[in-house]
Amino acid sequence: MNPTAQSIAVRALHFVVALALLAAVFAFAFHQLAYEWHWAPIFKYRDKFLHGWLVTIALSIASLAGSTAIGLALALSRRSRVLALGYAAKITVELIRGTPLLVQILIFFYVIAEAFRVTDRYVVGVTTLSIFSGAYISEIIRAGIESVGKSQLDAARAVGFTRAQTYRHVILPQALRQALPPLAGQFASLVKDSSLLSVIAISEFTLNAQEVNSYTYLPLESYLPLALGYLALTLPISLGTRWLESRTSYET
Amino acid sequence: MCLRPFIFALLIVLAAGCAPRGKETLVVGMELAYPPFEMTDESGSPEGVSVDLARALGESLHRPVTIQNSAFDGLIPSLKTGKIDLIISSMTATPERAESIAFSDPYLTTGLALLAGAKSEIHGIADLDREGRTVAVKKGTTGHIFATQNLHAARILLLDKEGACVLEVAQGKADAFIYDQMSVLKNWEQNRQTTRPLLEAFRKEQWAIGLRKQDDALLVKVNTFLKEFRTTGGFERLGNRWLRGQKAAFIERGIPFVF
Repeated sequence: MNPTAQSIAVRALHFVVALALLAAVFAFAFHQLAYEWHWAPIFKYRDKFLHGWLVTIALSIASLAGSTAIGLALALSRRSRVLALGYAAKITVELIRGTPLLVQILIFFYVIAEAFRVTDRYVVGVTTLSIFSGAYISEIIRAGIESVGKSQLDAARAVGFTRAQTYRHVILPQALRQALPPLAGQFASLVKDSSLLSVIAISEFTLNAQEVNSYTYLPLESYLPLALGYLALTLPISLGTRWLESRTSYET
Repeated sequence: MCLRPFIFALLIVLAAGCAPRGKETLVVGMELAYPPFEMTDESGSPEGVSVDLARALGESLHRPVTIQNSAFDGLIPSLKTGKIDLIISSMTATPERAESIAFSDPYLTTGLALLAGAKSEIHGIADLDREGRTVAVKKGTTGHIFATQNLHAARILLLDKEGACVLEVAQGKADAFIYDQMSVLKNWEQNRQTTRPLLEAFRKEQWAIGLRKQDDALLVKVNTFLKEFRTTGGFERLGNRWLRGQKAAFIERGIPFVF
Protein backbone atom coordinates (compact mmCIF):
# COMPACT_ATOMS: atom_id res chain seq x y z
CA MET A 1 0.00 0.00 0.00
CA ASN A 2 1.52 3.34 -0.94
CA PRO A 3 1.61 6.12 1.67
CA THR A 4 -1.00 8.42 0.08
CA ALA A 5 -3.53 5.61 -0.34
CA GLN A 6 -2.94 4.63 3.26
CA SER A 7 -3.38 8.16 4.55
CA ILE A 8 -6.63 8.48 2.60
CA ALA A 9 -7.86 5.22 4.11
CA VAL A 10 -6.90 6.36 7.63
CA ARG A 11 -8.58 9.70 7.17
CA ALA A 12 -11.72 8.07 5.82
CA LEU A 13 -11.79 5.76 8.81
CA HIS A 14 -11.45 8.63 11.28
CA PHE A 15 -14.14 10.58 9.45
CA VAL A 16 -16.53 7.64 9.72
CA VAL A 17 -15.71 7.23 13.44
CA ALA A 18 -16.39 10.93 14.10
CA LEU A 19 -19.65 10.73 12.17
CA ALA A 20 -20.71 7.57 14.00
CA LEU A 21 -20.00 9.20 17.39
CA LEU A 22 -22.16 12.20 16.54
CA ALA A 23 -24.89 9.94 15.18
CA ALA A 24 -24.82 7.88 18.38
CA VAL A 25 -25.31 11.00 20.55
CA PHE A 26 -28.29 12.11 18.47
CA ALA A 27 -29.75 8.61 18.27
CA PHE A 28 -29.55 8.34 22.06
CA ALA A 29 -31.17 11.76 22.58
CA PHE A 30 -34.01 11.06 20.18
CA HIS A 31 -34.46 7.59 21.63
CA GLN A 32 -34.90 9.07 25.13
CA LEU A 33 -37.64 11.35 23.89
CA ALA A 34 -41.11 10.01 24.62
CA TYR A 35 -42.55 11.33 21.39
CA GLU A 36 -44.79 9.75 18.81
CA TRP A 37 -43.58 10.54 15.32
CA HIS A 38 -46.19 11.37 12.66
CA TRP A 39 -44.62 12.04 9.30
CA ALA A 40 -47.67 11.49 7.09
CA PRO A 41 -49.42 14.83 7.86
CA ILE A 42 -46.13 16.65 7.17
CA PHE A 43 -45.66 14.92 3.85
CA LYS A 44 -48.97 16.40 2.66
CA TYR A 45 -47.39 19.85 2.93
CA ARG A 46 -44.28 19.01 0.87
CA ASP A 47 -45.13 21.61 -1.80
CA LYS A 48 -45.30 24.25 0.91
CA PHE A 49 -41.83 23.29 2.16
CA LEU A 50 -40.46 23.33 -1.39
CA HIS A 51 -42.01 26.71 -2.15
CA GLY A 52 -40.57 28.20 1.04
CA TRP A 53 -37.17 26.70 0.33
CA LEU A 54 -37.10 28.19 -3.19
CA VAL A 55 -38.09 31.61 -1.83
CA THR A 56 -35.27 31.36 0.70
CA ILE A 57 -32.80 30.49 -2.08
CA ALA A 58 -33.95 33.47 -4.14
CA LEU A 59 -33.75 35.82 -1.13
CA SER A 60 -30.31 34.48 -0.25
CA ILE A 61 -28.86 34.86 -3.74
CA ALA A 62 -30.21 38.40 -4.11
CA SER A 63 -28.98 39.42 -0.65
CA LEU A 64 -25.63 37.74 -1.23
CA ALA A 65 -25.02 39.86 -4.32
CA GLY A 66 -26.41 42.96 -2.62
CA SER A 67 -24.40 42.54 0.57
CA THR A 68 -21.15 41.93 -1.32
CA ALA A 69 -21.64 45.16 -3.30
CA ILE A 70 -22.59 47.12 -0.18
CA GLY A 71 -19.78 45.57 1.85
CA LEU A 72 -17.18 46.45 -0.79
CA ALA A 73 -18.54 49.99 -1.13
CA LEU A 74 -18.49 50.53 2.65
CA ALA A 75 -14.97 49.10 3.01
CA LEU A 76 -13.57 51.30 0.23
CA SER A 77 -15.43 54.34 1.57
CA ARG A 78 -13.81 53.85 4.95
CA ARG A 79 -10.38 54.03 3.31
CA SER A 80 -11.43 56.93 1.09
CA ARG A 81 -9.52 60.20 1.20
CA VAL A 82 -12.86 62.08 1.40
CA LEU A 83 -13.27 62.29 5.17
CA ALA A 84 -17.08 62.68 5.16
CA LEU A 85 -17.45 59.48 3.12
CA GLY A 86 -15.27 57.60 5.60
CA TYR A 87 -17.31 58.83 8.57
CA ALA A 88 -20.62 58.04 6.83
CA ALA A 89 -19.44 54.46 6.25
CA LYS A 90 -18.17 54.14 9.81
CA ILE A 91 -21.44 55.39 11.34
CA THR A 92 -23.50 53.10 9.10
CA VAL A 93 -21.44 50.05 10.04
CA GLU A 94 -21.63 50.77 13.77
CA LEU A 95 -25.39 51.47 13.67
CA ILE A 96 -26.13 48.30 11.72
CA ARG A 97 -23.83 46.03 13.71
CA GLY A 98 -25.02 47.42 17.03
CA THR A 99 -28.76 46.87 16.55
CA PRO A 100 -30.81 43.66 16.17
CA LEU A 101 -31.76 42.60 12.65
CA LEU A 102 -35.37 42.11 13.79
CA VAL A 103 -35.64 45.80 14.73
CA GLN A 104 -33.98 46.86 11.47
CA ILE A 105 -36.45 44.83 9.41
CA LEU A 106 -39.45 46.32 11.23
CA ILE A 107 -38.11 49.90 11.00
CA PHE A 108 -37.12 49.58 7.34
CA PHE A 109 -40.48 48.13 6.36
CA TYR A 110 -42.95 50.07 8.50
CA VAL A 111 -41.13 53.41 8.73
CA ILE A 112 -38.51 54.00 6.01
CA ALA A 113 -40.10 52.08 3.13
CA GLU A 114 -43.49 53.55 4.06
CA ALA A 115 -42.05 57.08 3.89
CA PHE A 116 -40.49 56.41 0.46
CA ARG A 117 -43.63 54.64 -0.81
CA VAL A 118 -41.87 51.31 -1.43
CA THR A 119 -44.65 48.78 -0.99
CA ASP A 120 -43.06 45.53 -2.18
CA ARG A 121 -42.11 43.65 0.99
CA TYR A 122 -39.68 41.37 -0.85
CA VAL A 123 -37.68 44.34 -2.16
CA VAL A 124 -37.56 45.85 1.32
CA GLY A 125 -36.60 42.49 2.81
CA VAL A 126 -33.68 41.89 0.44
CA THR A 127 -32.47 45.47 0.87
CA THR A 128 -32.52 45.25 4.67
CA LEU A 129 -30.73 41.93 4.68
CA SER A 130 -28.12 43.21 2.19
CA ILE A 131 -27.38 46.28 4.29
CA PHE A 132 -27.21 44.22 7.49
CA SER A 133 -24.87 41.62 6.05
CA GLY A 134 -22.97 44.26 4.05
CA ALA A 135 -21.91 45.98 7.29
CA TYR A 136 -20.27 42.78 8.51
CA ILE A 137 -18.74 42.03 5.11
CA SER A 138 -17.22 45.52 4.94
CA GLU A 139 -15.38 44.83 8.20
CA ILE A 140 -14.16 41.48 6.89
CA ILE A 141 -12.89 43.12 3.69
CA ARG A 142 -11.31 45.98 5.66
CA ALA A 143 -9.45 43.49 7.86
CA GLY A 144 -8.28 41.69 4.71
CA ILE A 145 -7.04 44.92 3.14
CA GLU A 146 -5.26 45.99 6.32
CA SER A 147 -3.51 42.64 6.57
CA VAL A 148 -1.40 43.61 3.56
CA GLY A 149 1.90 44.95 4.91
CA LYS A 150 2.91 48.59 4.48
CA SER A 151 6.18 47.56 2.87
CA GLN A 152 4.22 46.06 -0.03
CA LEU A 153 2.40 49.35 -0.60
CA ASP A 154 5.74 51.16 -0.59
CA ALA A 155 7.08 48.60 -3.06
CA ALA A 156 4.04 49.07 -5.30
CA ARG A 157 4.55 52.84 -5.21
CA ALA A 158 8.27 52.35 -5.94
CA VAL A 159 7.55 50.42 -9.14
CA GLY A 160 5.17 53.19 -10.21
CA PHE A 161 1.74 51.62 -9.58
CA THR A 162 -1.19 54.02 -9.37
CA ARG A 163 -3.64 53.73 -6.44
CA ALA A 164 -6.08 51.73 -8.59
CA GLN A 165 -3.32 49.42 -9.84
CA THR A 166 -2.09 48.85 -6.30
CA TYR A 167 -5.60 47.78 -5.24
CA ARG A 168 -6.09 45.59 -8.32
CA HIS A 169 -2.72 43.77 -8.38
CA VAL A 170 -1.35 43.94 -4.84
CA ILE A 171 -4.03 44.47 -2.19
CA LEU A 172 -7.20 42.74 -3.41
CA PRO A 173 -5.68 39.34 -4.33
CA GLN A 174 -4.14 39.01 -0.87
CA ALA A 175 -7.11 40.60 0.93
CA LEU A 176 -9.47 38.14 -0.78
CA ARG A 177 -7.52 35.15 0.48
CA GLN A 178 -7.55 36.52 4.04
CA ALA A 179 -11.24 37.32 3.82
CA LEU A 180 -12.50 34.03 2.38
CA PRO A 181 -12.93 31.96 5.58
CA PRO A 182 -14.84 34.66 7.53
CA LEU A 183 -16.81 35.48 4.35
CA ALA A 184 -17.99 31.88 4.12
CA GLY A 185 -19.23 32.11 7.70
CA GLN A 186 -20.96 35.40 6.98
CA PHE A 187 -22.71 34.05 3.87
CA ALA A 188 -23.92 31.02 5.81
CA SER A 189 -25.32 33.34 8.50
CA LEU A 190 -26.97 35.40 5.80
CA VAL A 191 -28.89 32.34 4.58
CA LYS A 192 -30.09 31.61 8.10
CA ASP A 193 -30.80 35.27 8.93
CA SER A 194 -33.20 35.41 5.99
CA SER A 195 -35.61 33.49 8.25
CA LEU A 196 -36.18 36.70 10.22
CA LEU A 197 -37.87 38.21 7.17
CA SER A 198 -40.93 36.18 8.15
CA VAL A 199 -41.86 38.97 10.58
CA ILE A 200 -42.96 41.12 7.64
CA ALA A 201 -44.96 38.21 6.19
CA ILE A 202 -42.37 37.16 3.61
CA SER A 203 -43.28 33.59 2.85
CA GLU A 204 -39.82 32.02 3.21
CA PHE A 205 -38.73 28.58 4.42
CA THR A 206 -39.01 29.10 8.20
CA LEU A 207 -42.41 30.78 7.99
CA ASN A 208 -43.76 27.91 5.91
CA ALA A 209 -42.46 25.36 8.41
CA GLN A 210 -44.00 27.33 11.29
CA GLU A 211 -47.24 27.44 9.35
CA VAL A 212 -47.20 23.67 8.88
CA ASN A 213 -46.54 23.35 12.61
CA SER A 214 -49.58 25.48 13.44
CA TYR A 215 -51.77 23.32 11.16
CA THR A 216 -50.46 19.96 12.34
CA TYR A 217 -49.14 20.62 15.89
CA LEU A 218 -46.12 18.46 15.02
CA PRO A 219 -43.16 20.72 15.87
CA LEU A 220 -40.27 18.28 15.51
CA GLU A 221 -41.54 16.86 12.24
CA SER A 222 -42.08 20.41 10.92
CA TYR A 223 -38.68 21.75 11.95
CA LEU A 224 -36.35 18.83 11.15
CA PRO A 225 -36.86 19.28 7.37
CA LEU A 226 -36.04 22.94 8.02
CA ALA A 227 -32.63 22.03 9.46
CA LEU A 228 -31.87 19.79 6.48
CA GLY A 229 -33.03 22.44 4.01
CA TYR A 230 -30.75 25.11 5.49
CA LEU A 231 -27.84 22.67 5.68
CA ALA A 232 -28.31 21.91 1.98
CA LEU A 233 -27.72 25.62 1.31
CA THR A 234 -24.93 26.41 3.77
CA LEU A 235 -22.82 23.30 3.18
CA PRO A 236 -22.13 24.11 -0.52
CA ILE A 237 -21.13 27.63 0.57
CA SER A 238 -18.44 26.33 2.94
CA LEU A 239 -17.23 23.68 0.50
CA GLY A 240 -17.17 26.21 -2.35
CA THR A 241 -15.11 28.71 -0.36
CA ARG A 242 -12.70 25.99 0.73
CA TRP A 243 -12.15 25.19 -2.94
CA LEU A 244 -11.66 28.89 -3.72
CA GLU A 245 -9.18 29.13 -0.84
CA SER A 246 -7.10 26.34 -2.31
CA ARG A 247 -7.20 28.08 -5.70
CA THR A 248 -5.98 31.42 -4.31
CA SER A 249 -3.36 30.11 -1.89
CA TYR A 250 0.29 30.58 -2.73
CA GLU A 251 3.64 30.68 -1.03
CA THR A 252 4.51 33.95 0.67
CA MET B 1 -19.36 -1.06 30.61
CA CYS B 2 -19.94 2.01 28.53
CA LEU B 3 -23.68 1.44 28.93
CA ARG B 4 -23.55 2.38 32.61
CA PRO B 5 -24.17 6.14 32.20
CA PHE B 6 -27.06 5.38 29.88
CA ILE B 7 -28.61 3.05 32.46
CA PHE B 8 -28.17 5.71 35.14
CA ALA B 9 -29.84 8.27 32.93
CA LEU B 10 -32.69 5.86 32.30
CA LEU B 11 -33.11 5.22 36.03
CA ILE B 12 -33.26 8.95 36.75
CA VAL B 13 -35.93 9.41 34.09
CA LEU B 14 -37.92 6.48 35.49
CA ALA B 15 -37.58 7.76 39.06
CA ALA B 16 -38.81 11.19 37.99
CA GLY B 17 -41.74 9.56 36.23
CA CYS B 18 -42.71 7.54 39.32
CA ALA B 19 -42.49 10.44 41.79
CA PRO B 20 -45.70 10.77 43.83
CA ARG B 21 -48.07 13.30 42.32
CA GLY B 22 -49.85 15.06 45.18
CA LYS B 23 -48.83 18.53 46.35
CA GLU B 24 -47.03 19.00 43.06
CA THR B 25 -46.92 22.37 41.35
CA LEU B 26 -49.46 22.93 38.60
CA VAL B 27 -47.64 24.43 35.63
CA VAL B 28 -49.98 26.57 33.53
CA GLY B 29 -48.80 27.65 30.09
CA MET B 30 -49.90 30.90 28.44
CA GLU B 31 -48.55 33.54 26.09
CA LEU B 32 -48.28 36.74 28.12
CA ALA B 33 -49.02 38.94 25.13
CA TYR B 34 -52.78 39.26 25.10
CA PRO B 35 -54.00 41.92 27.50
CA PRO B 36 -56.10 41.98 29.57
CA PHE B 37 -56.27 38.17 29.55
CA GLU B 38 -52.59 37.27 29.65
CA MET B 39 -50.08 40.04 30.35
CA THR B 40 -47.45 41.22 32.82
CA ASP B 41 -47.54 44.05 35.35
CA GLU B 42 -44.87 46.76 35.59
CA SER B 43 -42.55 44.49 37.56
CA GLY B 44 -42.86 41.72 34.96
CA SER B 45 -44.97 39.24 36.91
CA PRO B 46 -47.94 37.68 35.10
CA GLU B 47 -51.42 39.12 35.58
CA GLY B 48 -54.79 39.21 33.87
CA VAL B 49 -58.01 37.23 33.53
CA SER B 50 -56.30 33.91 32.75
CA VAL B 51 -53.76 34.36 35.55
CA ASP B 52 -56.54 34.95 38.10
CA LEU B 53 -58.40 31.95 36.68
CA ALA B 54 -55.28 29.76 36.99
CA ARG B 55 -54.71 30.88 40.58
CA ALA B 56 -58.35 30.19 41.52
CA LEU B 57 -58.06 26.73 39.93
CA GLY B 58 -54.87 26.03 41.90
CA GLU B 59 -56.61 27.07 45.12
CA SER B 60 -59.52 24.73 44.50
CA LEU B 61 -57.13 21.83 43.67
CA HIS B 62 -54.85 22.71 46.64
CA ARG B 63 -51.84 22.87 44.35
CA PRO B 64 -49.38 25.76 43.97
CA VAL B 65 -49.50 27.35 40.51
CA THR B 66 -46.57 28.37 38.29
CA ILE B 67 -47.24 30.42 35.16
CA GLN B 68 -45.04 29.45 32.19
CA ASN B 69 -44.81 32.07 29.46
CA SER B 70 -44.56 30.54 25.98
CA ALA B 71 -45.25 31.55 22.37
CA PHE B 72 -48.82 30.69 21.42
CA ASP B 73 -47.96 28.10 18.80
CA GLY B 74 -45.52 26.45 21.21
CA LEU B 75 -48.20 25.86 23.85
CA ILE B 76 -49.63 22.61 22.47
CA PRO B 77 -46.19 21.03 21.89
CA SER B 78 -45.16 22.06 25.45
CA LEU B 79 -48.29 20.44 26.84
CA LYS B 80 -47.76 17.23 24.88
CA THR B 81 -44.13 16.89 25.92
CA GLY B 82 -45.01 17.45 29.60
CA LYS B 83 -43.34 20.86 30.01
CA ILE B 84 -46.67 22.30 31.18
CA ASP B 85 -49.80 20.70 32.71
CA LEU B 86 -52.52 23.02 31.44
CA ILE B 87 -53.09 25.69 28.80
CA ILE B 88 -55.08 28.73 29.87
CA SER B 89 -54.28 31.18 27.12
CA SER B 90 -57.53 32.38 25.55
CA MET B 91 -57.37 29.27 23.41
CA THR B 92 -60.38 28.42 21.26
CA ALA B 93 -61.47 24.79 21.44
CA THR B 94 -61.32 23.87 17.74
CA PRO B 95 -61.85 20.37 16.30
CA GLU B 96 -58.30 20.48 14.85
CA ARG B 97 -56.75 21.20 18.24
CA ALA B 98 -59.05 18.65 19.90
CA GLU B 99 -57.41 15.94 17.77
CA SER B 100 -54.17 16.63 19.54
CA ILE B 101 -55.18 17.68 23.09
CA ALA B 102 -58.24 17.52 25.37
CA PHE B 103 -60.37 20.55 26.25
CA SER B 104 -62.35 21.41 29.38
CA ASP B 105 -65.89 22.76 29.17
CA PRO B 106 -65.81 26.21 27.52
CA TYR B 107 -65.60 29.19 29.88
CA LEU B 108 -66.01 32.08 27.47
CA THR B 109 -67.80 32.74 24.18
CA THR B 110 -66.60 35.24 21.62
CA GLY B 111 -66.41 35.46 17.85
CA LEU B 112 -64.15 36.40 14.98
CA ALA B 113 -64.51 39.99 13.84
CA LEU B 114 -62.70 42.41 11.54
CA LEU B 115 -60.48 45.40 12.12
CA ALA B 116 -60.75 47.21 8.79
CA GLY B 117 -58.67 50.06 7.47
CA ALA B 118 -60.30 53.50 7.67
CA LYS B 119 -59.98 53.92 3.89
CA SER B 120 -60.72 50.30 2.97
CA GLU B 121 -64.10 49.74 1.32
CA ILE B 122 -65.05 46.47 2.98
CA HIS B 123 -68.20 46.16 5.08
CA GLY B 124 -67.95 42.55 6.21
CA ILE B 125 -66.39 39.18 5.66
CA ALA B 126 -68.41 38.61 2.44
CA ASP B 127 -66.77 41.37 0.42
CA LEU B 128 -63.32 40.70 1.91
CA ASP B 129 -62.71 37.57 -0.13
CA ARG B 130 -62.12 39.20 -3.52
CA GLU B 131 -59.19 39.38 -5.93
CA GLY B 132 -56.83 42.20 -4.94
CA ARG B 133 -57.89 42.30 -1.28
CA THR B 134 -55.35 41.56 1.45
CA VAL B 135 -56.11 40.06 4.84
CA ALA B 136 -53.74 40.11 7.82
CA VAL B 137 -53.83 37.25 10.33
CA LYS B 138 -51.72 36.28 13.34
CA LYS B 139 -49.96 32.96 12.93
CA GLY B 140 -51.54 30.02 14.73
CA THR B 141 -54.74 31.84 15.76
CA THR B 142 -58.27 30.81 14.79
CA GLY B 143 -58.31 33.83 12.47
CA HIS B 144 -55.38 32.25 10.61
CA ILE B 145 -57.11 28.86 10.37
CA PHE B 146 -60.37 30.50 9.27
CA ALA B 147 -58.60 32.49 6.56
CA THR B 148 -56.73 29.52 5.08
CA GLN B 149 -59.89 27.41 5.00
CA ASN B 150 -62.46 29.97 3.86
CA LEU B 151 -60.77 32.78 1.95
CA HIS B 152 -59.66 31.78 -1.53
CA ALA B 153 -59.45 34.94 -3.63
CA ALA B 154 -57.95 37.34 -1.08
CA ARG B 155 -54.23 37.41 -0.34
CA ILE B 156 -53.38 36.25 3.18
CA LEU B 157 -50.59 38.00 5.08
CA LEU B 158 -49.25 35.78 7.83
CA LEU B 159 -47.64 37.70 10.69
CA ASP B 160 -46.04 36.83 14.01
CA LYS B 161 -47.34 39.66 16.16
CA GLU B 162 -50.73 41.20 16.75
CA GLY B 163 -49.12 44.66 16.61
CA ALA B 164 -47.75 44.00 13.12
CA CYS B 165 -51.20 42.93 11.89
CA VAL B 166 -52.73 46.16 13.21
CA LEU B 167 -49.92 48.21 11.65
CA GLU B 168 -50.51 46.57 8.24
CA VAL B 169 -54.18 47.60 8.42
CA ALA B 170 -53.45 51.09 9.79
CA GLN B 171 -50.95 51.76 6.95
CA GLY B 172 -53.40 50.46 4.35
CA LYS B 173 -51.16 47.53 3.36
CA ALA B 174 -53.95 45.13 4.36
CA ASP B 175 -57.70 45.68 4.06
CA ALA B 176 -58.57 43.97 7.32
CA PHE B 177 -57.23 41.95 10.23
CA ILE B 178 -59.21 38.93 11.40
CA TYR B 179 -59.21 38.58 15.19
CA ASP B 180 -61.59 38.15 18.09
CA GLN B 181 -64.15 40.82 18.97
CA MET B 182 -62.48 42.10 22.14
CA SER B 183 -59.08 42.53 20.51
CA VAL B 184 -60.62 44.25 17.50
CA LEU B 185 -62.34 46.69 19.84
CA LYS B 186 -59.16 47.32 21.84
CA ASN B 187 -57.04 47.89 18.72
CA TRP B 188 -59.59 50.25 17.21
CA GLU B 189 -59.58 52.29 20.43
CA GLN B 190 -55.83 52.75 20.02
CA ASN B 191 -56.05 53.56 16.29
CA ARG B 192 -59.28 55.52 15.86
CA GLN B 193 -57.96 57.62 12.95
CA THR B 194 -56.72 54.80 10.76
CA THR B 195 -58.98 51.80 11.49
CA ARG B 196 -62.63 50.92 12.08
CA PRO B 197 -64.08 47.91 13.92
CA LEU B 198 -66.56 45.53 12.27
CA LEU B 199 -67.60 43.73 15.43
CA GLU B 200 -70.37 41.53 14.01
CA ALA B 201 -69.07 38.02 14.75
CA PHE B 202 -69.01 35.87 11.60
CA ARG B 203 -67.82 32.80 13.49
CA LYS B 204 -68.57 31.87 17.08
CA GLU B 205 -65.69 30.64 19.22
CA GLN B 206 -65.49 29.16 22.67
CA TRP B 207 -62.40 29.32 24.83
CA ALA B 208 -61.49 26.37 27.03
CA ILE B 209 -58.65 25.04 29.18
CA GLY B 210 -56.33 22.64 27.33
CA LEU B 211 -55.11 19.39 28.89
CA ARG B 212 -53.20 16.27 27.84
CA LYS B 213 -55.50 13.60 26.45
CA GLN B 214 -54.58 11.02 29.07
CA ASP B 215 -55.14 13.37 32.06
CA ASP B 216 -58.78 12.28 32.58
CA ALA B 217 -58.74 12.74 36.36
CA LEU B 218 -57.50 16.33 36.03
CA LEU B 219 -60.11 17.04 33.34
CA VAL B 220 -62.94 16.04 35.68
CA LYS B 221 -61.51 18.26 38.44
CA VAL B 222 -61.09 21.24 36.08
CA ASN B 223 -64.67 20.94 34.84
CA THR B 224 -66.00 20.73 38.40
CA PHE B 225 -64.00 23.84 39.28
CA LEU B 226 -65.30 25.79 36.26
CA LYS B 227 -68.93 24.99 37.13
CA GLU B 228 -68.41 26.03 40.74
CA PHE B 229 -66.49 29.19 39.74
CA ARG B 230 -69.38 30.25 37.50
CA THR B 231 -72.14 29.64 40.07
CA THR B 232 -70.23 31.53 42.75
CA GLY B 233 -69.89 34.56 40.46
CA GLY B 234 -66.18 34.15 39.77
CA PHE B 235 -66.42 35.06 36.07
CA GLU B 236 -68.64 38.05 36.88
CA ARG B 237 -65.90 39.31 39.21
CA LEU B 238 -63.18 38.71 36.58
CA GLY B 239 -65.23 40.64 34.00
CA ASN B 240 -65.70 43.57 36.36
CA ARG B 241 -62.05 43.63 37.34
CA TRP B 242 -60.38 43.37 33.92
CA LEU B 243 -62.98 44.03 31.21
CA ARG B 244 -65.12 46.91 32.48
CA GLY B 245 -64.58 49.06 29.38
CA GLN B 246 -65.18 46.22 26.93
CA LYS B 247 -68.32 45.17 28.76
CA ALA B 248 -69.75 48.69 28.46
CA ALA B 249 -68.81 48.88 24.76
CA PHE B 250 -70.41 45.50 24.03
CA ILE B 251 -73.64 46.45 25.81
CA GLU B 252 -73.69 49.81 24.00
CA ARG B 253 -73.48 48.04 20.63
CA GLY B 254 -76.05 45.42 21.59
CA ILE B 255 -73.57 42.55 21.30
CA PRO B 256 -73.71 39.87 24.05
CA PHE B 257 -70.75 40.00 26.45
CA VAL B 258 -68.24 37.16 26.51
CA PHE B 259 -68.74 35.62 29.97
